[in-house]
Amino acid sequence: MWRELGPGFRFTLAFTVLTGLLYPLAMTGVSELLFPRQANGSLVRVHGRVVGSSLIGQAFPQPQYFQPRPSEAGAGYDATQSGGSNLGPTSAKLILGATATVNGKATVAFDGIEDRLVHYCLDNGLPYRSSQPLRRFEDAEGQLDDVKLITAFNAAHNPLVFRAAVPIPADAVTGSASGLDPEISPANARLQLARVARARGVAPGRIRPLLARYTQPAAFGLLGAPGVNVLELNLALDRRFPLR
Amino acid sequence: MTGLGALQILVFFGIVLVLTKPVGLYLHRVFEGERTFLHPVLHPLERLLYRLGGVNEQEEQTWLRYAGSLIAFSLAGFLFTYLIQRLQGWLPFNPMHFSTPQAPAFATPLTPDLAFNTAVSFMTNTNWQAYSPDTTVSYFTQMAALTVQNFVSAAAGIAVAIALIRGFARHTSRTIGNFWADLTRGTIYVLLPLSVLATLFFVWQGAIQNLHGPVTAHTLAGATQTIEQGPLASQLAIKMLGTNGGGFFNANSAHPYENPTPLANELELVLMFVVSAGLTYTFGKAVGDPRQGWALFAAMAILFLAGAFASYGFEQRGNPNLSRLGIEAAATRGQPGGNMEGKEVRFGIADSALFATVTTDASCGAVNSMHDSYTPLGGLVPLFNIQTDEVIFGGVGAGLYSMLLYAIVAVFIGGLMVGRTPEYVGKKIEQKEVKMAILAILATAVCILGFTALSAALQFPVHGYWNPPGAAAANTGNNAAHGFSEILYAYASGAGNNGSAFAGLNANTPWYNLTMALDMLIGRFLFIIPALAIAGSLARKKVIPSTSGTLPTTGGLFVALLIGTVIIVSALTYFPALSLGPIIEHFVMHAGKLY
Repeated sequence: MWRELGPGFRFTLAFTVLTGLLYPLAMTGVSELLFPRQANGSLVRVHGRVVGSSLIGQAFPQPQYFQPRPSEAGAGYDATQSGGSNLGPTSAKLILGATATVNGKATVAFDGIEDRLVHYCLDNGLPYRSSQPLRRFEDAEGQLDDVKLITAFNAAHNPLVFRAAVPIPADAVTGSASGLDPEISPANARLQLARVARARGVAPGRIRPLLARYTQPAAFGLLGAPGVNVLELNLALDRRFPLR
Repeated sequence: MTGLGALQILVFFGIVLVLTKPVGLYLHRVFEGERTFLHPVLHPLERLLYRLGGVNEQEEQTWLRYAGSLIAFSLAGFLFTYLIQRLQGWLPFNPMHFSTPQAPAFATPLTPDLAFNTAVSFMTNTNWQAYSPDTTVSYFTQMAALTVQNFVSAAAGIAVAIALIRGFARHTSRTIGNFWADLTRGTIYVLLPLSVLATLFFVWQGAIQNLHGPVTAHTLAGATQTIEQGPLASQLAIKMLGTNGGGFFNANSAHPYENPTPLANELELVLMFVVSAGLTYTFGKAVGDPRQGWALFAAMAILFLAGAFASYGFEQRGNPNLSRLGIEAAATRGQPGGNMEGKEVRFGIADSALFATVTTDASCGAVNSMHDSYTPLGGLVPLFNIQTDEVIFGGVGAGLYSMLLYAIVAVFIGGLMVGRTPEYVGKKIEQKEVKMAILAILATAVCILGFTALSAALQFPVHGYWNPPGAAAANTGNNAAHGFSEILYAYASGAGNNGSAFAGLNANTPWYNLTMALDMLIGRFLFIIPALAIAGSLARKKVIPSTSGTLPTTGGLFVALLIGTVIIVSALTYFPALSLGPIIEHFVMHAGKLY
């Protein structure tokens, strides 16, 4: 074996130059030439300024925008920390959420599916059933307090049970694998339509065609699943129905 | 399950089936040193590499010499990979300034134990990633260390399979080929040209390929978003084709830059199987009876389809704990239903479960969804696939040589039943072959179960060196049975040289980094060395003509015997451990209990 070390190191060096430098650098050059937009990240510019990438999801907390899926990438849609929750199907943290005490103050450590469901139903005016009136979990300003909600979901006795009374698309309340999913399901988008239309002061029927236009069908009607690109749809909304 | 979802699985399988014969024939030509259509361009490069390496590629090697060359080459690759990582702060192509004083606040230090783990991981074709690429490695490390190992560890795996094929095809021969020739030919005639084409396809679909630093975007909502860039597509292509699986980004092939569209996803799937499926035909061709290869293919295909449909079925059925809240489990026209936690909308349920099955059949380890968030039985399929020693098409080369070891065990069991010395493709299977095959199969089992047991039980001082969280079991990201599954999956993934993870486990501590490295080394070399020993032993033997008493190894009986052997060996070995993890969790989930 020892006399094989000479060729071992020489071949490693040769392959490092060939497959580790020449190959990736040549591919970079050719890609820049043939597909410059994609090779550089499918960036979207508005008035010359980069507003994002059509492939990378971003957060849209305001009601006039369609909202993406919950994200586990960093503090949410952090494109330097891609990843999922990695929580399993029997995880209390995943389903009921978790709180933590930071500097003596109770904060949300993980919002959890129940809490997301509450917000999704209330934001979009969807019917629900709750075992306790939600007023109990409001703060002084009358806003829902997530810490109170999550504590109630996790309570050992008489926990808060909240159910949606219409079928909720799973992608609306679950995190993606990358935390950067640029898409939502068409059903999820349809449930958000009324809220977006109201926030922009236009009839839902005028937004619906945009929704159809930015829905990417499954490839060849077969591969993958249909989705709506949230950034592209929201950009189109801002162009067509700007906020007054 | 939906009809469309099932069709996706069948269409994928159809593509693999169609490619098997042409790819197998091409591989046969390449490794016989015959002319291919790429010779005018690549033959001069091949000659140059032999000259640089200082070897005579015509020189035939005994199995010991062949193994020696492979181990020496692996050692050199390990050292290069380790050093490049440790020195990346001084090396070029480091726009994020990792491993320098200007590193961003979120950067993870590349400690010696982490660099050691990563070097072993890439050298053994595992691509277990204890590091998070987004926050740890420079572009230079990605290209000159990790991409290189993706090529050559894959080529080394193919070389071993070719050597074992020669063991069957040759007779009364002391030698099994030349490692350097097989390594070089596999790299430049097979992996490199296909990677070039795949890279361009991926970039066309939206994968990035550049050398810039991160881009700052000013989002519509009024925030800023830092979007990382890099030479991704070139690494993506070989990561799939070489069944390596190490992601350019932490989210691996779930990251939209690393798997932008369902079409890109389909190519990633095909790349994982294409070489391994082709090698079954190469085997049949080399031993002079393509049906021998198709029999192996059939066994693999049946196991693959069973796994894919099982995983898809359980994922589509979803999590009853969510259905109870009013979250839709059934697929409709507007949404995929099922268990969408840790899955991407563009892939939906079927393409995610299919990918999870293929990546664990193929010893690849790339993921387009997070296996840790799978339903218990949906996630048992990938785990069990790895525990079969990845013989279901398997890693490039590794799949075929592992399946041939199982074939040896299968004919041995068949021989015991009828009381006759077993034969396989014209070679008598004797004590030495069976011992070596069993050694390989047992070594991985001992590693997986032994390390899992240790990690479930061992206590370390809190904030100590070996495992700062304290007990090794405290590193799990989930509680109860699911936490145990995370540890079991990790060591299975290491010994199987897969590299995927139930990624909630925090495996970047010295205890996990070092035991995982050992696990990967044993899983790689205690399969390769016995396989080469068998190759050497078989090559020396005479061919015995088949008689009416020979068990035909081309028909349904043999396929069933082989499948039975794979399943029984794995099930007997792992059932107790699996029942503590995914199986019990399945019942707990349906009882509505949370942890």
